[in-house]
Amino acid sequence: MKIGIPKALMYYFYYPFWKTLFESLGFEVVTSDDTSKSILDIGVKEAVAEICVPMKVYTGHVLNLLDKSVDYIYIPRFVSLRKGIFMCPKFMGLPDMIKGLFDGIENKILTHNIVSKSTDISEFHNYTVFIDKLGVSRKDLKNALKKARDKWLEFRALNKQGYDINELLTSDKPKKYDGDITIGLIGYVYNVYDRFVNMDLLNVFRKLNIKVVTFDMMEERIIQRQLKKFKKNMFWEFTNMLLGTAYEFMERDDIDGIIHITAFGCGPDSILEPFLTIDSEKHKKPFMTLRIDEQTGESHVITRVEAFTDLIRIKKYKAEKSVEGVI
Amino acid sequence: MKITFPYMGSPYMYEKLFSLLGHEVITPPRPSQRTINYGVKYSPEFACFPLKVILGTYLEALELGADTIVTSGGNGPCRAGYYGEAQKKILKNMGYDVEFIIFDEPKRDLKTFLENVKKIKVNNSWRQVIKTVKTVYDMAKSMDKVEKIIETKRAYECNKGEFTKAWHEITEEYRKIESSEDVKRVEKKAIERLNSIKICEVPEEEKIRIGIVGEIYVVMEPSINGNIEEVLNAYGAEVERSHYISEWIDFNLIPLPSYKEKEHQILKKGEEYIEIIIGGHAKQSVGAIIDFMERGFDGVIHLKPFGCLPELVSQSVIDKIMREYDYPILSLSVDEQMAIANVLTRIEAFLDVIKLKKHRKRIAR
Repeated sequence: MKIGIPKALMYYFYYPFWKTLFESLGFEVVTSDDTSKSILDIGVKEAVAEICVPMKVYTGHVLNLLDKSVDYIYIPRFVSLRKGIFMCPKFMGLPDMIKGLFDGIENKILTHNIVSKSTDISEFHNYTVFIDKLGVSRKDLKNALKKARDKWLEFRALNKQGYDINELLTSDKPKKYDGDITIGLIGYVYNVYDRFVNMDLLNVFRKLNIKVVTFDMMEERIIQRQLKKFKKNMFWEFTNMLLGTAYEFMERDDIDGIIHITAFGCGPDSILEPFLTIDSEKHKKPFMTLRIDEQTGESHVITRVEAFTDLIRIKKYKAEKSVEGVI
Repeated sequence: MKITFPYMGSPYMYEKLFSLLGHEVITPPRPSQRTINYGVKYSPEFACFPLKVILGTYLEALELGADTIVTSGGNGPCRAGYYGEAQKKILKNMGYDVEFIIFDEPKRDLKTFLENVKKIKVNNSWRQVIKTVKTVYDMAKSMDKVEKIIETKRAYECNKGEFTKAWHEITEEYRKIESSEDVKRVEKKAIERLNSIKICEVPEEEKIRIGIVGEIYVVMEPSINGNIEEVLNAYGAEVERSHYISEWIDFNLIPLPSYKEKEHQILKKGEEYIEIIIGGHAKQSVGAIIDFMERGFDGVIHLKPFGCLPELVSQSVIDKIMREYDYPILSLSVDEQMAIANVLTRIEAFLDVIKLKKHRKRIAR
C-alpha cells in the first residue's frame, strides 16, 4: 500500500517521523514533488481565494499526490502540542478543508487527531485509528511509533546543533554554513524551508556570506524561558516558538539582525507582528519583515535582504572600528 | 476610573452594566469611517478587521477621556482572544497610559479574574451586583426579541424607513431603564409601537427568508457590515442572524446545561463538515447554514472579516454544501476596502437568483 505525504506545512518538521512510522508498518511512502510553479498554480486555483499561501501550496501538493496513484494521502489534524495551546485554526480544520474542496476525496484521506503534550507526537492514543483503517496490530504500531520517535529525535538533535532542515532532509552528509554576520530568521518551517515559495532564501543568505539561525535550531527550554515573560501566551504552538525565539534573538549579542519571514494573510503572524516590531526597536536590534505570496519574482527578496544586511555590516564594522579607536 | 468597552451591536447593555454599578462610562461612538481610518492606521496590516475597528473605537473613546478599557479575553485559537493583549501593546507603544481589564476564563488565571471582578464591583453589595446583571441580561433578551420582530416585519413596511426610525427611538428608551420592571414596560411599549406600523403584506409563496451566518463581530455590527440587514429588508427579504448577544450570553456565560441546548444542536449539525471546534464560530457557521436550510430559509449570506482564520475553513466547505444541496449561499468578506456599491450589486444578484429559483419551483408544481 502506498501512503502519500504532501511536501508542505508540517512535512518539514515531521517527515523523518512519518517516513519511519509508515515504513516500519510495511507501507511504501511517496512524497509529492518539490513545490513548483504548477503545484502552486493548481493550489491557487482550487483553494479559497483569500487563504494564506502555505495552505494553497498544500492544496497543490494534495492534487499532485492524487496523480501519483497513492492509496492514501496522509493529512493529520494537528490540534494541540501543549496543554491549553492549539495550532492555527486552519491546521485544525485541514482535513475538513481538503474534503470540502474536492468531491469524492474522503476515502483517500488518512487522518487522525494529534493531541500531544509536546512536539514529540509519538503518543500511542493518537494513532489508534490506524489499527482498523490500515489493518496493523497494536504491537506493530507501538514498535513503529517508537522507531519513528527515535529517528525524529535524532533528526531534531542534529537540527538543534545548527544544521538546517533542508540539509538534513536532502543530504546524507549535511553541512553547516557560517558567515561574517548572523541573522535570526523568524518564520515557520514551511516558509523558511520551501525553496520555491521563499525564492530560495537560505541560498540568498549563503551567497552573501550570512549565517542564519532559525527557531527549529533553538533548544525548547530556552524558548519556554522567554515565554515566561508573557502572562498570557498566544494560542498557537509554533507562533509561541517564534515569539520566544525572537525575544531570545533580541537579547543575544551574536545575532546581528532579525528577519521575520511571513506569508501573505497569515493570521497568527499578524498578532505576532506588533510584539516583534515594537520590542526589537526597544532592544535596538535591526528588524525587517519579508512577506511572501504567490508572486514568483525573486528580485525583491534579494534586493531587500541585500539592503538590510548591508546596513547591518556597516553598523557592525563601524562599531568595531570605534572600539579600536578607543584602544 | 472612566470605563470604555468594545463596540459591538448595541452598546447600551455594557453602558447600562457599568453605569448601574456606579462607574463613569464613556460610550464609544458608533464606528464610522474615522474609526476605521484610526484602527487601520495603527493596527498590523494583516490583523483581522474587528481588531482594527475595535482599536479605532478605543482611540476615539480615549480622546473622549476614557482611561480604562474593559474587554473579554479568550482561549483561542481564534485571534479575537488575543486582541486585548495586542491592543494593549500597541496603545502603550503609542504613549497612552490606559488600564486594560481583560476578562479571561477564571480557570485560566483565577487571581487576575477575581481582581478584575473586584475592580468592577467596587463597593456595591453582591446583591446589588446580581440585580444589575439580571437587569442587563433581561435587557439583552428583550432587545433581541424586539430586533427579531423588526428584522422580519421591516421587509414589508409600506413607508420605507419607519421601522428603522422606531428602532432608534426604542433603543433610546432602553437606554433609560433601571430595573427589570422597566425592561418589561419598555418592551411592551416597543411592541405596541411596532404593531402600529403599516404593513403591506405579500403572499406567503413570494416571501423571501435569508439567514446571516459568520464571524460574530461582522454579523452583529451593522456599521461595518454595510447595514446588511436593513439592506436585505429594503429588498423585501426577511432576515435572521446566527448570532444574538443574549444567545451568546446563554451559551458562554450561564453555567446551566439547558441554556446551551440550542448551540449544541447547531454544533451537531456542523459536525459532518467540520469535525471539531476549530475556534471562532466556524463550526457554528456551518451548522447554522444547515439549520437555516432545514427551516426552509431561501438562502444564506456568510459574512467574515478578510483573512479570518476559522471562517476560511468554513468557506472551504460552503462550496461543497452548495453543490450537495443546490442551496444558494453568498460569502462576503468584510474589511476596510469594502465598497457599498459592490455589496449591493452582489446582494441584488443573489436575491434575483433566489427569486428565480422560487419562481421555477412554483411553476414546476
